[in-house]
Amino acid sequence: MERIGVVLGRREATPLEFWVGVEGEGLLRLDDLVVVEGFHPKVGRVRYFGMVDHVAKVHEGEAYDTDTFLAVAGRIPVSLAYVAHVSVTRILPEEFFPPDPGSPVYLAQGLDLELALYYDAMKNQKGSTRLPAGLLPNGEVAYLNLEFLNGVKGGHVNISGISGVAAKTSYATFLLKSLLESGVLEDAHQAKVLLFNVKGEDLFFLDKPNARLTEEAKEAYARLGLPATPFGSVAFLAPPKKEGYVPDLDTRLEGVRAYHWDLVQFCQRGLLPFLFADRSAMSNLGFLVAHVTERLRRLAEGQKGPGLLVGDWPGEELPEEVNFDALGKVRLKSFAHLVRYVEYKLLGPETGEGEGDKGWVARQARGTLEAFVRRLWASVEGVGHLVRGDRPGNPPDPLKGEQVHVVDLAKLSPQAQMFVVGSLLKDLFERKERGQYRGRVFIVLDELNKYAPREEEGPIKDILLDIAERGRSLGVILIGAQQTASEVERRVVGNAAIRVVGRLDAAEAERPEYRYLPASFRQRALILPQGAVILHQPEIPVPLLLRFPFPAWATKREEVLEDNSAEALRRELF
Amino acid sequence: MWRLLSLSPGTLAQGEALQEAPEPQAFHPLESPWEPRRAGPSPWPEPLYFVDGKEREEALLQGEGLALLGCVAAGALVHQGGRMTLLPPLVRRVGVGLAEPLRVGELLYEPVAAEGTDYASLRAGLQRVREELEREVARGLSGGLLLVDGPVRFARPGGLPLLGYVKTHWARYLPEGEEALLQALSPGERTPAFRVRRGGRELASWYLRLPLLPEGLRPPQAGLLRVETPLEAPFSELADLSLGLFPDLASHPVKDPRAPQNLAPIGALEWALGRRMGSQEVVERLLRRHLGGG
Repeated sequence: MERIGVVLGRREATPLEFWVGVEGEGLLRLDDLVVVEGFHPKVGRVRYFGMVDHVAKVHEGEAYDTDTFLAVAGRIPVSLAYVAHVSVTRILPEEFFPPDPGSPVYLAQGLDLELALYYDAMKNQKGSTRLPAGLLPNGEVAYLNLEFLNGVKGGHVNISGISGVAAKTSYATFLLKSLLESGVLEDAHQAKVLLFNVKGEDLFFLDKPNARLTEEAKEAYARLGLPATPFGSVAFLAPPKKEGYVPDLDTRLEGVRAYHWDLVQFCQRGLLPFLFADRSAMSNLGFLVAHVTERLRRLAEGQKGPGLLVGDWPGEELPEEVNFDALGKVRLKSFAHLVRYVEYKLLGPETGEGEGDKGWVARQARGTLEAFVRRLWASVEGVGHLVRGDRPGNPPDPLKGEQVHVVDLAKLSPQAQMFVVGSLLKDLFERKERGQYRGRVFIVLDELNKYAPREEEGPIKDILLDIAERGRSLGVILIGAQQTASEVERRVVGNAAIRVVGRLDAAEAERPEYRYLPASFRQRALILPQGAVILHQPEIPVPLLLRFPFPAWATKREEVLEDNSAEALRRELF
Repeated sequence: MWRLLSLSPGTLAQGEALQEAPEPQAFHPLESPWEPRRAGPSPWPEPLYFVDGKEREEALLQGEGLALLGCVAAGALVHQGGRMTLLPPLVRRVGVGLAEPLRVGELLYEPVAAEGTDYASLRAGLQRVREELEREVARGLSGGLLLVDGPVRFARPGGLPLLGYVKTHWARYLPEGEEALLQALSPGERTPAFRVRRGGRELASWYLRLPLLPEGLRPPQAGLLRVETPLEAPFSELADLSLGLFPDLASHPVKDPRAPQNLAPIGALEWALGRRMGSQEVVERLLRRHLGGG
C-alpha cells in the first residue's frame, strides 16, 4: 500500500467526509480512491474507503496575496499545503465514527479498490455481475453491476450530454458491446438490440472495423476484456426513397434493407394513432382516432395485403390505378388512397353536402371530422412511402434474425419518425408482453425529449412510460439519451437505474435532474473531454468518471477499414 | 505546590518607559570621512542564514517563590539557490525559578535557575534561555553569512561572518555632530562604520536607510537600521554588502506595521516559530485545568 498522506485535524473529519494532507512527493488527484484505517477500543479496526472529489494547494504562512511574489523570489519561506477532500464511499465494518486526524491515508489499489467501489458485492449465485463500463482515471477497469441494467434489481440507462462530443451514442454503443461480448450477461446470445439512428448515418458502419483504431485503444479493449472488433451480427434498415424501394441512404450502399408497412399491417396493428403524436392538442380527436383505428382494424380482418380491399368505394371518381378485384371490391394501393377512403367514410362523397358513414363518424361533429381528415392528409407526404399498398410490407423485426437492428430515422419527417418509433416500440413491447420472445431486448433511443417530453402527452410517450415502468420485468431495457434530461418526462428518467452524463451545458447542469451528482462532478461535467463520461449507479454512493475507448467499429464512411487482402479480393471476384 | 497567579503575564508588563538615551561616552569612527556612503549591488553570499527567536510567557506561578512558565523557540531560514527554506526550529518549554520539572497535562516545563526571585529577573531568565537557544541554532549552521535579529550577542565558530541588526534605537552611539548625518542619509546609503563596545565585545557598526515608498509623512528616523558585526570581520565589505541585502529584504508597511525595518523573512520566521509553540489558547486551557482553582 502506498502511503499518500494523513487525515487533517484542522478541518473536521467525519465518517462521511474528511480532508487529507498530502505529504512529500505524494500525488493525489480527483477520482483517486483512498483508504484510511481507524481504531477505537470498543469497536476495533475500521477501514474507511473514499474518493477524492476536491484537491487544493495553498501557501501556508502567506498573509497577503502579494506574499507569493516574495516567496517566488525566495524572500520568505512558505510551506506548500496540498490537501484533498475525500467523500467516503464505504466503511468496513459499518461503524460510523470519524477517523482520527493524523491517521495515515493510503492509495486504494487492487483489493482495496474493489472494496471501495463495491465490486465485491457485484455477484449473484451464478457468478460475477461485473460489467466492464470503462476505465477509471488511474487506468483500472470500472464496473457497473449488471443486475441494475438487465432488470434483475433495476434496469434502463439514461445518458445526458450535449451533441458533438461523442458521448451519448458512442457510450451507448460501447455499453452494448460490453453487454453482448463481455460474457457477463449470461444469455447474451439471445439478447436483441434495437438501435434507432436519428442523426447522420453514424450507426451504419457498426459491422466495419475502424481504420483509425490505435494500438492504445486496442490495449484499452484488452484491459476491459472486450474484443476490439466491430459488431458481428447487425441488420441495417432504412426507409425507402419516396419513389421505388431503394433504401434512402447516402454513404452505405450494400447490405441495407428498406423497410415499410403495407396497408393491411397498418390497419391490423392499429398504427394510426402514431400519426397523431400531438394528442394533447385535441380532445375529441383522440376519441375519433381510437374509433377509426378500430374501424380500420375490423376492415383489415382476415386480409392478406399488401393492398387493402374495400367493398363500398363509390363507382365514380375512381382513380386510374385502383382496380376492381375479387368479388367486386376495390383494392387500395397506397396510403393516399387509404386516406381518401377514410375521408369518404367520414365526410361522404366529395361532391355535395354528403353525410359520412354513421358507423365511422361516431357522432362526432363535422368540424372534428374535418380536422381529423386534414391532419391525415397532412401526413401523406411524410408517411406515404412508409405505408404502402403495392408490395408486401417488411417492417423491421428486431426479434428475428440478426442480433442488432439499426433502424434509420434520420431522413424522415418528424411525424414519420414518431410513427416508426411508436410502431416499432408498440409491436415489440406487445410481443414481449405476450411472451413471444425469451431473450432480453435493449432499445437505444436518442432524443428522448422528443418522444417523451415532459410537458405534452402522446401515444409514444405512453409506450415509453410503459417500458420505463414495466419493461425491466419483461426484459425490455431502454437505453435512452437526450441533450437535456430536464426536458424529458420525469418518470422515464427516474426509472433509469444507471445514469450517465457526458459534457453538459452550464445552465443544464444546475437543474434538479442532476442533483444526484456532487457539486464537483456537476462542475466537471462542463469540461468533460471526448471519450469521458460520469457514471452513476445505485450501489456506489459516488459517481465515477470513466473513459471509454475509441470505437472499434467505424462511425463514418471514411473510417471503414478496407479489406484489401488477397482473400477478400478473391471472395469479391469469384 | 504551585498556585496559578496569572496567565500570559507578559501582556501585563508592557509599560516600559521610553527614556531619553544619554550622550554616548566615546566615539571611534572606523572609516572616514564622515559622510554618506553608497555601494553598487553585489550578489548575495550563499548560503545566507537568518536566525531569530521568540519567547512567550505563559503563566506566573506562586509556590515557595515565584516561577515563570514560558515557551521559547528559535529557528533559522536558509536562502540558497533562490529559495528560502525553513530549517527545523527548536522549541522548549521552561519554568524559570522551578527546581524540578513540572508536568502540566501533556506539557513538560524544564527547570531553569533564576538569578533573582522577582518577576523582572524571571523574565530576564526566560530571555536568556531564548538567547541560548538562538546560539544553539546558530551553532548548527555551517558556512555562509548569518543574519540575526537584534544585537550581536555571540560569535560564530571559526570567525564566520555574522551581522546583527537593530530596528529600534534606544541607545545613542553617535555624538551630536555626527548624528546629524542620520537625517541626511538617503535610501540605500549608510554611515561610515564606527566602533561599539558592549559586554566586553568589540563590534563594528553602521546605520543604513532602507528604501521608503514615496507616499506618506515619516519621522526622520523612518527606515533607519543599525547593523553590527564583530570587529574582527571584514566590516567594510560587509557594510557595503548590507546596502544591497537589507533593502531587498525590507517589508512593506501594508503588511507589517514595523516595516520596512522588520524584514520579510524574519516576519515569516516569527510566524512559523509562533506556530510551533502551539496555540496559546490550548496551552492556557491546559494550565487552567491542571493548576487553576488555587
